[in-house]
Amino acid sequence: MAVSRRDFLCRTRNGIGALALANMLAEDLSAASVDPLAIKPQHLPRKAKQCIFMFMAGGASQIDTFDYKPALQKYAGKPLPKVPGLSGEIEGFLDSPNRTIPSPFEFRRYGQSGRYVSTLFPKIGESVDDLAFIHGIMVDNNNHGPATMHVNTGSQLQGSPSVGSWISYGLGSPNQNLPGYVVIQDPRGAPVNGAAVWGNGYLPASYQGTLFRSTGAPILDLNLPKGLSREQQSKEFQLVRWLNEQHASERPGESELEARINAYELAFRMQAEAPRIVDLSTETAATKALYGIDNPVTEPFGRQCLLARRLVENGVRHVLLVHGVEIGKYSWDDHGNVKERMPQHAAEVDQPVAALLKDLKARGLLNETLVVWASEMGRTPFINDLKSDKPGRDHNQYGLVMWMAGGDVKGGATAGETDEFGIRALNEPIPLRDVHATVLNLMGLSDERLTYLHAGRFRKLTDIGGRVLNQIIA
Amino acid sequence: MPPGKTLPAQDIAAIEAWIQGLPPTAAKAAPSRYWAFVKSAKHAVPTVRESSAARNAIDAFILDKLAEKSLTLGPEADRRTLVRRLYFDLVGVPPRPEEMNSFVEDRSPKAYEGLVDSLLADVRYGERWGRHWLDLARYADTNGYEGDPEWPHAWRYRDYVIDSFNQDKPYDQFVKEQIAGDEFFQIVSAVPAPLPEPEKQVALSFLRLAPFNRTPVSDENRDSLLSEMTSTVSSVFLGLTVGCAKCHDHKYDMVPTRDFYRMKAFFATVQITNTGRAGGYEPADFYKPGQKAWADETRAQFKKDVEQSEADFKEFQKPLLVKLTAAKKLEKPAKPKPEDTKPEDSKELTAKDLEREINSENNNASGFDKKPEIFTREEKDRYLQFTERIGRLKKAIDRLEPLAMGLRNADGPPMGPNVPTTYVLRRGEYDSLGEPVEPGFLSAIEGHSNPAVLELDRYKMFPTRGRRMTLANWIVSPNNPLTSRVMVNRIWQHHFGRGIVETASDFGKNGTPPSHPELLDWLGNRFVDEKWSVKAMHRLILNSSAYRQTSYKTDKRAEQDDPDNRLLWRFPRRRLEGEAIRDSVLAVSGRLSLKPGGPPVYPPLPEGLDEAQKVQGVNTWETSAGEDARRRSIYIFQRRALNMPFLETFDSPVFNAPCDRRRHSITALQALSMYDSDFVNEEARHFAGRVRSETGPDVAEQIRGAFQIALGRAPKPAEVRQAQSLMAAVTPVANALTALCRVLLNSNEFIYID
Repeated sequence: MAVSRRDFLCRTRNGIGALALANMLAEDLSAASVDPLAIKPQHLPRKAKQCIFMFMAGGASQIDTFDYKPALQKYAGKPLPKVPGLSGEIEGFLDSPNRTIPSPFEFRRYGQSGRYVSTLFPKIGESVDDLAFIHGIMVDNNNHGPATMHVNTGSQLQGSPSVGSWISYGLGSPNQNLPGYVVIQDPRGAPVNGAAVWGNGYLPASYQGTLFRSTGAPILDLNLPKGLSREQQSKEFQLVRWLNEQHASERPGESELEARINAYELAFRMQAEAPRIVDLSTETAATKALYGIDNPVTEPFGRQCLLARRLVENGVRHVLLVHGVEIGKYSWDDHGNVKERMPQHAAEVDQPVAALLKDLKARGLLNETLVVWASEMGRTPFINDLKSDKPGRDHNQYGLVMWMAGGDVKGGATAGETDEFGIRALNEPIPLRDVHATVLNLMGLSDERLTYLHAGRFRKLTDIGGRVLNQIIA
Repeated sequence: MPPGKTLPAQDIAAIEAWIQGLPPTAAKAAPSRYWAFVKSAKHAVPTVRESSAARNAIDAFILDKLAEKSLTLGPEADRRTLVRRLYFDLVGVPPRPEEMNSFVEDRSPKAYEGLVDSLLADVRYGERWGRHWLDLARYADTNGYEGDPEWPHAWRYRDYVIDSFNQDKPYDQFVKEQIAGDEFFQIVSAVPAPLPEPEKQVALSFLRLAPFNRTPVSDENRDSLLSEMTSTVSSVFLGLTVGCAKCHDHKYDMVPTRDFYRMKAFFATVQITNTGRAGGYEPADFYKPGQKAWADETRAQFKKDVEQSEADFKEFQKPLLVKLTAAKKLEKPAKPKPEDTKPEDSKELTAKDLEREINSENNNASGFDKKPEIFTREEKDRYLQFTERIGRLKKAIDRLEPLAMGLRNADGPPMGPNVPTTYVLRRGEYDSLGEPVEPGFLSAIEGHSNPAVLELDRYKMFPTRGRRMTLANWIVSPNNPLTSRVMVNRIWQHHFGRGIVETASDFGKNGTPPSHPELLDWLGNRFVDEKWSVKAMHRLILNSSAYRQTSYKTDKRAEQDDPDNRLLWRFPRRRLEGEAIRDSVLAVSGRLSLKPGGPPVYPPLPEGLDEAQKVQGVNTWETSAGEDARRRSIYIFQRRALNMPFLETFDSPVFNAPCDRRRHSITALQALSMYDSDFVNEEARHFAGRVRSETGPDVAEQIRGAFQIALGRAPKPAEVRQAQSLMAAVTPVANALTALCRVLLNSNEFIYID
């Protein structure tokens, strides 16, 4: 193409809008001939064009959410029988004195499929026919740090790219005024491992998640400096541009200098456009009520979900929502008092998640949006504390449950099955890499083809390759 | 194989027959002839026709290769350019106008060399080049993973690195201290070794700086720890990806899995003193002159502050306890627990009960628990302020204890078990034991897999001691083909933006071959001959014509024939790293504090990160005030779970593994940081204040002054006009100079160095 990118931008500056060739907010423009976030074609045809990944931090109990295990009743208070095929920490737990804790919550059938869901999640239950569940997923580590890394980046060690990074790398992102990969964490704090959870690892920096603030202005440094009007800033930007153009013209052929000029153009536009996209006040009262923005319990996650909808609606490729923080009361890590804590977690997410599903569907977006609900590990149906009257559950890397919806997900389908205790897969556990391969597949990417040369190896999200769970794909 | 298919049966049979038919000798491992595994030859320095262009041997080698393509070096850069280039390269901040003028006006023949020497002697050099080493050492001030707890004594390693570079510590000594700092003492009689010298104990932190998973499965964790040490030592010092062989034979280099575990076996006796805190510490006195006195004094002062605060806190709690007692009396009594010995209402409420109640109220912010609240928001906030203040003071005291993140060897018999056996782990799985191995060096280099001769004490009283020193000595042996070439390549990389071997931590087959193999060999030998002096190598490189040439493209044919500039026909223009950008902004505003060393500092985080930096509701970022907030970036607290956004946006990575080369991305987020951040805007105001005080009220003079300070040159007439035009349009007029200063900080020229 004979025209330089700068010329192209100059000519289209007056609002041609989101064109496939345009630059991205967090794009690395230093390689002038290749836009890191330019749209790339799918490897295989799939309907989903964007992904909303909801991560429940702390280890959500499968036994109290989506894995109905009535058989636990007959062992209530008694030791759980020996289960083969467990190793490490959880094997140790089960070898020690323990007692079984069935779910204190009722399960009931929902939807046309009649699937059992905990009554803690009645609104999600209403949408159950759109969901496909995966049971008995095995994570590589029984503790928060490595397990969170494993679910989010495919490796329990820090330093690998996150799911959203792979997706941005594989597909680029349509909107030129926003990042391609946005993260909104719980307003009460960060998940374990912090920014590593949405890091770009060894992929170029343009693929890292951009953390939007959960309260107030979402993007750091997006607001003009105090006392500077947009008009004044525009004059200053013009001088910056003029100086840089002089500088670059004396040093011809330095593509980085040109790219940096473009970066400032983008930043200027983004200051104007992004606030509009992230401003929730323009939503109707009905929509806000749907997401529970009017209720302090559901407001935080409701806000996160509503913002996620607006972002994908405006061409953001991947949104990671984190619910729950590190450790403590606001985490799903219910080592104690599952009876009082689980309802609190559920109350905070049930309505917002269901609202997101319904809202996406109503706007015709669910077809092209992959929604994933995940946590870093499951929990045990038994505990080693024999005395406490407020029992909880311990970590269980064998029992993770996840669900997906949207795109080509086959509503009502199931992959995997846990044993009667809900502690591990009935037969072969589903390794997490299979789930990752499936997520990529549903986004139109092959985990085997989506590679990046690093330290002498062609790396991939699934490391050694995963099997796509075709049973949940329509 | 091939993946997804199988070979036809007759092909398999043919290969099998061929293998069976090989003579026995062919199956033996022979020393590799691969260039990196062979000690470099002594090359003669090429003679060059244009002897005037060549200042030293480096130029001869460079010109020789350029001549093959009928190219040559570019003309020398002008004096202003050279000054800025040297300052940013060696000390990481721009020269002050008077420093610039002093060199430009110095017409003595050795003025340039003199400037090189004076910058190498500047203490800021250690802070600039120490940062490159910290990238390799995967340095951080926290542990990573759950809670991301602080390592209160990691900072001493950071100071050790800075000091080592400033003192021009011989590189072989530097390597030995970091691998085997506790094994220097030669045991010459049958008495135990004294404690390691404090500096060497601090150096050992190097082995422990990776994120560490403290979960209970100890065999797995120990394997992770020792494997990481093995992998890091090999990539940092040997430039080899031996870590790849943890699970299988290396796919490309002649490093079988056995060799990974034979190297890991050198670390078999490592022990970390586990005090239950993140880190585990060894005693290490403060060894720098005056430092012990300073640390003792500061600790004592903090201790007084703690006592005072605790007393004040106790006073503050008294009325709260009264309130709590009254409230509890009104509550229905709880079911008595079997372990309660006193009846409910005679129980005295303690500070612990108060703490529990306040925590519970704070956790109930969403109002889920329907209990009434006893304390007001003000009372709870004040309570939190006290606990935070006391917590911070205690942490500050802890940081100044004479401790280091070192390690030691396990006690051998009779106090402890004998040296544990190292096993090959099948597929790298900690519980899948294969054959046992003895410590040994890489067979690709040695030509055999015999066990290494360990340098144990002659009395055999301390069988656990001496392995790591054996490994270290092998690494820095003049016969080791890799070590010196790897280090000179890294030094070259930071001067020229790209190493002679571009993949600085992979000299193996999958890395890039050297662009100038004979030069690399020659430099490696020279490094050893100059007693591993890093500064001597700096001098050699910096004084060459290759380094001094212009960065402008002056040769059309060179542009065509060598567009990548692999042959160095011009000096590569580069962007500054994040730390240098931040330090330069502060240098230009006149507010950079040059206070060296000591515990980390916490410049203010951008407003939006309040939630992100909390752990369980507690603020972990102890924002510094005043001068401490403006110290050099190398002293900023490096938290694994939260990267300082300004640095992160300019590609300062989170260090989980050694980083040998940072990216230089260009993003609009960087533009936002430089334009909208509180940091740059505040410094722009101070920059303007400095200009005003140095040049007076005349606008044209102010413009000239601002350009001189920020860009090291006078503005061109057109630039003056444009600047005046901008300043005239700014309202209120008091902000006009700040506006110009902000513009200059955002110019490409400020961060792209010619």
